[in-house]
Amino acid sequence: MTNHWNDLKHADVLMIIGANPAENHPISFKWILKALEKGGKLISVDPRFTRTSQMANVYGQLRSGTDIAFIGGMINYILENELFHKEYVAAYTNASYIVEDTYSFNDGMFSGYDIGKRSYDKTKWAFKKDKEGKTLKDPTLKDPKCVFQLMKKHFSRYDIDTVIGVTGTAKETYLDICKTYASTGEVGKAGTILYAMGGTQHTVGTQNIRSYAILQLLLGNIGISGGGVNALRGESNVQGSTDFGLLYDNVPGYMQVPTTAETDFTYQGFLDRITPKEGYWVNKPKFYTSMMKSFYGDNATKGNEFGYHYLPKLAAGKNYSFMRLFDAMHRKELEGLLLFGSNPAVGGPNAGKEIESLSNLKWMVAVDLFETETSSFWQKEAGADPASIQTEVIFLPASGSFEKEGSVTNSGRWMQYRWQAIKPKGESKADLEIVHMLARRLKEMYKNSSNPADMPMKALTWDYGESDHPDIDLVCREINGYDMKTKQQVKKFGDLKDDGSTCSGNWIYCGFYPENENLSKRRDNTDEGMSNFLNWSYAWPANRRILYNRASADLNGKAWSKTRVGIEWNATEGKWKGNDVPDFVVDKGPNDPTFIDPFIMMAGGKGALFASINEGPLPEHYEPYENPMSNSFSSVQLNPAVQFGEEEMNAQGDVSKFPIVATTYRLSEHWQSGAMTRSQEWLAELVPHMFVEISEELAKEKGINNKDKIIVSSARGEINAYAMVTKRFKPYKLKDKTVHHIGMPWHFGYKGIVTGGSANRLTPHIGDANSTIPEYKAFLCDVRRAK
Amino acid sequence: MAETIKLVDVTKCDGCRACMVSCKNWNDLPSEMEDFHGSYQSHEKITANTWNVLTFNEQERKDGGLDWLFRHSSCLHCTEAACEKACPENAISHTEFGSVVVDYDTCVGCGYCVQACSFDAINLATYIDKNGKEFRKAQKCTQCTDRLEEGLQPACATACHTGAIVYGDKDELLSSAEDRLAQIKERYPNANIYNPQGISGTNTVYILADKPTTYGLPENPKVALSQIVWKDYAQPIGKMMLGATTMAVIGSFIATNLNKKNHSSEGDQSHE
Repeated sequence: MTNHWNDLKHADVLMIIGANPAENHPISFKWILKALEKGGKLISVDPRFTRTSQMANVYGQLRSGTDIAFIGGMINYILENELFHKEYVAAYTNASYIVEDTYSFNDGMFSGYDIGKRSYDKTKWAFKKDKEGKTLKDPTLKDPKCVFQLMKKHFSRYDIDTVIGVTGTAKETYLDICKTYASTGEVGKAGTILYAMGGTQHTVGTQNIRSYAILQLLLGNIGISGGGVNALRGESNVQGSTDFGLLYDNVPGYMQVPTTAETDFTYQGFLDRITPKEGYWVNKPKFYTSMMKSFYGDNATKGNEFGYHYLPKLAAGKNYSFMRLFDAMHRKELEGLLLFGSNPAVGGPNAGKEIESLSNLKWMVAVDLFETETSSFWQKEAGADPASIQTEVIFLPASGSFEKEGSVTNSGRWMQYRWQAIKPKGESKADLEIVHMLARRLKEMYKNSSNPADMPMKALTWDYGESDHPDIDLVCREINGYDMKTKQQVKKFGDLKDDGSTCSGNWIYCGFYPENENLSKRRDNTDEGMSNFLNWSYAWPANRRILYNRASADLNGKAWSKTRVGIEWNATEGKWKGNDVPDFVVDKGPNDPTFIDPFIMMAGGKGALFASINEGPLPEHYEPYENPMSNSFSSVQLNPAVQFGEEEMNAQGDVSKFPIVATTYRLSEHWQSGAMTRSQEWLAELVPHMFVEISEELAKEKGINNKDKIIVSSARGEINAYAMVTKRFKPYKLKDKTVHHIGMPWHFGYKGIVTGGSANRLTPHIGDANSTIPEYKAFLCDVRRAK
Repeated sequence: MAETIKLVDVTKCDGCRACMVSCKNWNDLPSEMEDFHGSYQSHEKITANTWNVLTFNEQERKDGGLDWLFRHSSCLHCTEAACEKACPENAISHTEFGSVVVDYDTCVGCGYCVQACSFDAINLATYIDKNGKEFRKAQKCTQCTDRLEEGLQPACATACHTGAIVYGDKDELLSSAEDRLAQIKERYPNANIYNPQGISGTNTVYILADKPTTYGLPENPKVALSQIVWKDYAQPIGKMMLGATTMAVIGSFIATNLNKKNHSSEGDQSHE
C-alpha cells in the first residue's frame, strides 16, 4: 500500500477492483464503513457480485481479464472531459517529458519488438535528452511527442462503447463509475484504489496495476490521505516476505540478485548496472554493501568485494519463478524441495501437472501445521501409486502464529511485533527455529572444508545464540543494522555506508531498532493527526505512513486541502512538518529547483505516467491466454511479452470446446489452500463443500439445478463440485455475443475435515510478462451435470 | 441498572460470520457439517448447537440491481417470551440483563419451548448419560449472560468488526437506530427497526434492510393467549389439583395445536 488501512476512512471515493476485502480482508471494512458513514462512495468492480459488492454504492460487472480496457476507458473519459488534476499532472508527473522519436505504437504493438525473444528493446521508448543529458520537457503539455499527448492518443481508442463491448459492463453503470471516480480529480478530494490478486493474477497483471497508478496520478490521488494505490496483501505477512527478498530475483529491500552476465563479474560492475544515475536509488551501493556485511560480517572486506562472490548468481536471462521451478522439476532438473507453509498441490496452477512433477524429486521437506495435499502427494488417497514414487518426504511440524514470537508486516507496511501466546504443541517449531537449526548444522558440516564451493557457507555469519533456539532480538538488531566497529545501532538508512563500516540486513527496515528500543513493539494508539498513529509499531521506510506525501502539498508546499494535511513546508522553521514523517528531504525549501519533485525514488522525481516495463510504456489491453473473443483493440491477442514455459505443462483450451469464462477466488471462511481452515471444525462447517457459482441463465441452458452435482472441465483436467445457481452471476453481454462465466473457490483438496475438488486442477500454467504470477483469474472451461 | 440490549444492524454486516465462530468458541459448541444448501448459508436454521446462523438471501431490487441480504439470526430474547410461558418447569427465565436463559438443571427436555417460539431460536440437544440413556436439554443463545456478568460484551459483538452487532444502553442504542434508519432509507426503502411490540419488544433489536418476512421473521409475533392462560392460570392451579405430569400432557396438546398454526402461516421463507 502507498497508504495504510486506517487511512481508508479518509477517502471520498473508494474503488475496489480486483479485490474482495469484505471476504478476504474483512477488518478493512471497519475503516471503509467509516468513510461511507461520512458520505463516501464505494465502487465495487468485479466479475461477480460479492459480499463487497453488497456493501458498495455502485457495482460494476467486468469480464475477468479486462481491467486495462475498463481503466483505460476511465482514463480516456478523464482526459477527454479534462477532469484530471491539472497542476498536479503538470508539475508532479512525467506528463511533460518528451519521448524519443523511436517510440511508436501501432495495432497493439510498441516499437522495438523482437518476435524471436518475445521481448522489447526498451531504449526505443526513452525520454529525449538535451546535450547536457537533461530530459526535454514541455510544461504546456502540448508537444505531440510529450507523454501527456502520447498517452491521450493511446487511450483515445478506449471509447466507452468499445470498452463495454470488451468488459461487458452495463453502459449506464460504467458512466456512473467514470463520473463518480473522476470526481476525485477535483482539488482537495481523495479517491483510493484497492486491489489484490484479482488485479495481479493475469498475463497482463503488472500492467493492470500500472493502469491504476496512471489513473491515480491523473486525479492527483497519490501521496494524499484517503488516496493511493493500495495492494491488499493476501496473507498476514506477505508484505514482510517480499520486503525480505522472498522473490527469486530480489534480495531484501527490493534490490537485485546478481547474475552470471559479464556486467556482474565484479561487484563494481554489478553496482554500476543496478544503480540509477538519479533518484534516491543512487544510494543503492550503501544498502547493498551493508546487507552483505550483515551476511558475512568480518568475512566481507573491501579486498574480497565485500563477499560479493559468495552470493549465489542467477543464470543470466533465466527465470526461477514458481512455475519455472515446476517446469524444471518436470524435466528432472531439480532434486530437492523445501516447502514452508506451501501447498502447491492445491494452490499451484495446473495443479495436476505440478503434482506429477513432484514425483521427479529425490527429496522433499515439508514444514507445515498439518499434513497437506502436497506433503502426501505420494499417498493412495491422492490417487497415486506409492510404490512407483521414489521421492523421500520429510515432514516437519511447524508452530502456528500464536505459538511463536516475531513480527509481521501488514499491507500498510507496518511492522508489528507479536508475542508468543501459548507454547508450541509436541515437537513443532517456529520457522525461524527450523532455519536456525538447519543453518547451525550446515555450518558445522562445512567447518573444515577447503573446497572453494563451500566458502559461502563458511563465510556466512550466524551469530544468533549458541542454542537451537535463536535469540530473536539479535536477528532484529541485525535487520536494523549497526556500526561494525562500535556495534551501536544505526539510526536511519541515510547513515548506511558503502565502505563496509555499517551492516543492515534490510535497509528499508533500518531505523526500526535504534539503540535499545524495538519500535515494532510500540502500542501507543494515540491519533496525533490524520489517523497515522505514528507511535504505533513502525512503518517502513522511516516510519512514514503515506508514501510520496510531499504530493499532499501544492507547488508552494501548502496542503491541497486543509482537511487533508500530510506534510507542509514551514517557512519559519525552514522544514517540512505535518501529520506524517516527510517522504522528502526535510529541509529542502522552495529555493531548491527539486522542491516540486515528490517522487523521490524516481529519476527526475516525477510520478511515472509513462514507464517502461516488459510489454510497453503504457498499458494496452490484450486478451487472457484463454479467451472467448478476438481482441477489439488490436489484432494482437496475447500480451506479446509473455514467456511460455514447458509445453507439456501448458495446455491451452479453445473457446469452441470450452466456451465458459472461469475465475477462482477465496472466501472469508477459508484460507489459501485450506490446510489450516479445512482442518478447523468451526471454520470447516461454515463452508463444508466445494461449489461452483453459475448464473441462472447458464444453469437453464445446461439443465443444471441448484445443488446438483456437476463436473467442471478445462484443457488441464476436471473436477467435481456442487452447483450454486445464483443471481449474483450474470452472463456478459459483449460486443458480438453473450458469454457465460462461472467462479469457484480454490480452497479445497482431499485432506482435512472437509474436502472437495481442487479448482487449480483447471487453471493454466502461464503467467504475467513481468512477475510471472500465474493467470489464475481468467481461463476457459465447460460445465455439465454429473451423471 | 440501566437497561441494555443487543442491536444488530444488518446493513453494516458484511457476512463474514465471525459471530458464528466466536459463539461456538465461547460457548464451546460442536461443529455441525450440514449438506450443501445451494447458497453461502452453512446451516439451514438455528440448532441446539448452532446458536446463531448468518442467513444469506438474494433478491432483485426494483431499480434492477441486486441485494444480497445478510442477517445474524439468533434468539431475540423477547420481553414476553413464549418459551418462558410454555415451560412447565419454570426452567426458562429472564436475567437482570433482559436476556432469556434456560436453567439446564431444571429443564426436563419436554420441548414445549421449541414449539412455542415464533423464531425457531430454541432447540433440544440430545445427550447420553452415564447409563447410556438419552436425555434432552433445551439450548439457545444466552446473549452471553456469563460474559455480561463479568462486564464483557457478548462474544458475537466483540468479534464483529463492522459494528453490525453492538451491545449497550437500551435508550442510546434505540435512538442511534432511528438515526441510522434515516441514513439508510435511500438505499433500503423498506428498512425498519424490528422490535416487535406484540411481545413488548425484544432484547436483541434489529435494523433490517427489508420487510421482516424477507428474513423469515413474523411481522407481528404474539404470545398465544393459550400460552398465557396455560402459564399464568392453568398451570399453577392444575399442578395443585392434577399433578405436574398430567398438566404437562395437557400443555403439550395446547402448545402443538395452537402454536403450530401460528408457525406455518408466518416465516419460513426460503433462502436464495
